[in-house]
Amino acid sequence: MKQASSVVTLNGANRWNERRRTFASTILAAIFLAGIAACSWLLGSSGLSVQLENRNLAPSMTHLFGTDWLGRDMLSRTVKGLALSIKVGLLGAACSVVIAATMGLMAATLGRTVDRMISWLIDVCMSVPHLVMLILIAFVCGGGLKGIAIGIMLTHWPSLARIIRAEAMQLMAAEYVLVARKLGSSRLKVAIRHLAPHLLPQLLVGFLVLFPHAVLHEAAITFLGLGMSPHQPAIGIILSESMRYLSTGMWWLAVFPGLGLLLTVRAFDKLGNHLRQLVDPRHTHL
Amino acid sequence: MKKIGLTIISVLAILLIVNGCSAAKPTTGTTKADSLIVAIGAEPDTGFDPTKGWGRYGSPLFQSTLLKRDDDLKIEGDLAKSYEVSEDGLTWTVQLRGDVVFSDGKPLTSEDVKFTFDTSASNGSAIDLTNLASVTAGENEVRFQLKKPQSTFVYFLITTGIVPKHAYSSSYAEQPIGSGPFTFVQWDRGQQLIVEANEHYYGKKPSFHKLTFLFLNEDAAFAAAKAGSVDVAYIPSAFSGQEVAGMRLEAVKTVDNRGIAFPYVKAGGKTDKGYAIGNDVTADKAIRLAINTVINREQLVEGVLEGYGSPAYTANDGLPWWNEDTKLEDHDTDAALRILKDGGWSDNDNDGVVEKDGLKAEFTLLYPAGDVTRQSLALAAAEMVKDAGIRINVEGKSWDELEKLMHANAILLGWGSHDPLEMYNLYSSDFGGVDYYNTGYYNNPAVDKWFEQALEARTEEESIEYWKKAQWDGKTGLSVKGDAPWAWLVNIDHLYLVKDGLDIGKQRIQPHGHGWPVTDNIESWGWK
Repeated sequence: MKQASSVVTLNGANRWNERRRTFASTILAAIFLAGIAACSWLLGSSGLSVQLENRNLAPSMTHLFGTDWLGRDMLSRTVKGLALSIKVGLLGAACSVVIAATMGLMAATLGRTVDRMISWLIDVCMSVPHLVMLILIAFVCGGGLKGIAIGIMLTHWPSLARIIRAEAMQLMAAEYVLVARKLGSSRLKVAIRHLAPHLLPQLLVGFLVLFPHAVLHEAAITFLGLGMSPHQPAIGIILSESMRYLSTGMWWLAVFPGLGLLLTVRAFDKLGNHLRQLVDPRHTHL
Repeated sequence: MKKIGLTIISVLAILLIVNGCSAAKPTTGTTKADSLIVAIGAEPDTGFDPTKGWGRYGSPLFQSTLLKRDDDLKIEGDLAKSYEVSEDGLTWTVQLRGDVVFSDGKPLTSEDVKFTFDTSASNGSAIDLTNLASVTAGENEVRFQLKKPQSTFVYFLITTGIVPKHAYSSSYAEQPIGSGPFTFVQWDRGQQLIVEANEHYYGKKPSFHKLTFLFLNEDAAFAAAKAGSVDVAYIPSAFSGQEVAGMRLEAVKTVDNRGIAFPYVKAGGKTDKGYAIGNDVTADKAIRLAINTVINREQLVEGVLEGYGSPAYTANDGLPWWNEDTKLEDHDTDAALRILKDGGWSDNDNDGVVEKDGLKAEFTLLYPAGDVTRQSLALAAAEMVKDAGIRINVEGKSWDELEKLMHANAILLGWGSHDPLEMYNLYSSDFGGVDYYNTGYYNNPAVDKWFEQALEARTEEESIEYWKKAQWDGKTGLSVKGDAPWAWLVNIDHLYLVKDGLDIGKQRIQPHGHGWPVTDNIESWGWK
């Protein structure tokens, strides 16, 4: 379907091509991100305080997303929760990209033994389910936001590392790299000067695809009640709390934060996919 | 296209879930007149062995006790015809009825009583019988010899179900035999317990032949009640606003209290395990008193408990040993500010938090992360004390973490028992740092002295005066009037959805939520 829609149709009407779609989704995602950041900053923390006289209010003009059973403003909580998820997501994705790039380049440049070791490490990490690894790491790091962030940083790199490694391996066989090696460039120089610039687009796509993944995992782990105090605004915590009140008809506790999470994830997932199509139409999955 | 379709489906799914949840489907279940299905709480992990603690909160159901409390909490005989305490308070003699048989038809004798107490004493963990020197069984008579006088010994006679010596084995907890109103039929761990009326029961026979206890969590219990498949369901206050067709809501008064335990001593100490003790801010009496004064307990009851509760001033409100002088006027910001000012606290840097000698009135309040009610109370209380210029940082932790932190930080705990011994455990300096009792290391020699006198009194009546004085004797005490080592917040009503037409009798003031106190008066339940 995707390929078909990007083809220019017979009657000459120029349908949206991949480039435009990517551009549009970049703008949308950027606006969304800026919106969350601005809201989070503007709203301050006053909405998070308990106001028992305003509890269980349905959405209205004063409380756009309604209030919870302690009178806390759900708009504030949702935005703060999303901001936290995004922060953790950005941090986790960025770290994963750095780790993946380092691992991939090392595997390609440092010889067979190192390559084998790194491939083995990647296989091991990929054989354990993400969430289980995440929980283990978060637990070992003493829980809390720090534990979750470290866990996400350390669990998302293997799939990207594998791709970077394969790509770097290919580049190592390219003539200009061979020439550089013959001319006496060190492995480090080859990796940084000749390989890394070529891998940049892959890394960017990797970052954008890993980001929603990391956000979802942050939500999942807080949903399970790991790490943070249950009154702190994190999307997972808010969603798990709302379960209790859904049966009493307070739908707004789950719907708005849930939609917020969905939007965040979808926006960046789409952007990542478009960008990947653009950068590297040959590879279809990461 | 596929992805857009997926998005639409997920949005639809959300809407569907939301709709499905708000539409209650009332069904009217049919119940056989002589059997009941109830979902009134969690199952006891350790089974149904009274020598290991079963039945201490609420009736032991399968077993009967030497003494029991009536609906007004007055002590009366059960297996015992009468009991007397010697002049020196060291010998307790209990006369048995003599006509009681276990559900297997064998008679209950004084040997069984002796066996029960000997076993409890050797088990040690749940029941503290260290003061019991020996038990002698005579002809329909049991004599307890104590090491020193102990008025609270009577509570062991009230709470300890008697087990049969001839049928006691290591698997007793899973297959109990006793002389109580019901006999054991079947226990499916994690699912249900089925019991039948005991034909040999000597007391008033219950009007139900068969009871099924379902072990459901609160949400499932509520769902079961909505579906009409249970006759009685225990629900949290969050669900109290909803009507359930064919059932009515009964709110039972309790001493199931929640309050903030403050570290009473200054920081610096360490427990045996190396955990920090004490907190410089909460060690200041003015802070503790100001918090007690500024908190609006009525609003906590309204806002957090949906009105199903009452303000708490001590750990034992409404019980015979409660000193009513300990009530205070709360929600008084001016008074709280005055207390702080007199105590040397003032806000010099205008950041909304008072300080004294460079120390900010700021501390951490911990709550168990899984408990929504305690979380809500902690957050609401932290909001209320802001008015007095005190900053409480709220943190939710697991019980494992709490045990390490609770001596150096304030913690939201809950207690409540039909036994003044709990007051002793919570406030006596002997219990500083023992289990969850005196977490703040409260100690006051005057209070300890009253405790000693209360414990050494011969009878409950004599001891009550001393228990009251321990709370407030006109000069000092463990209550808000005195040292205020706690800020008690609320007593939580226990809420039950009861099928229309089912009468659950006059419910007594219920203790803390473990066990099934609602079945205490099971023999007076019946269809109207």
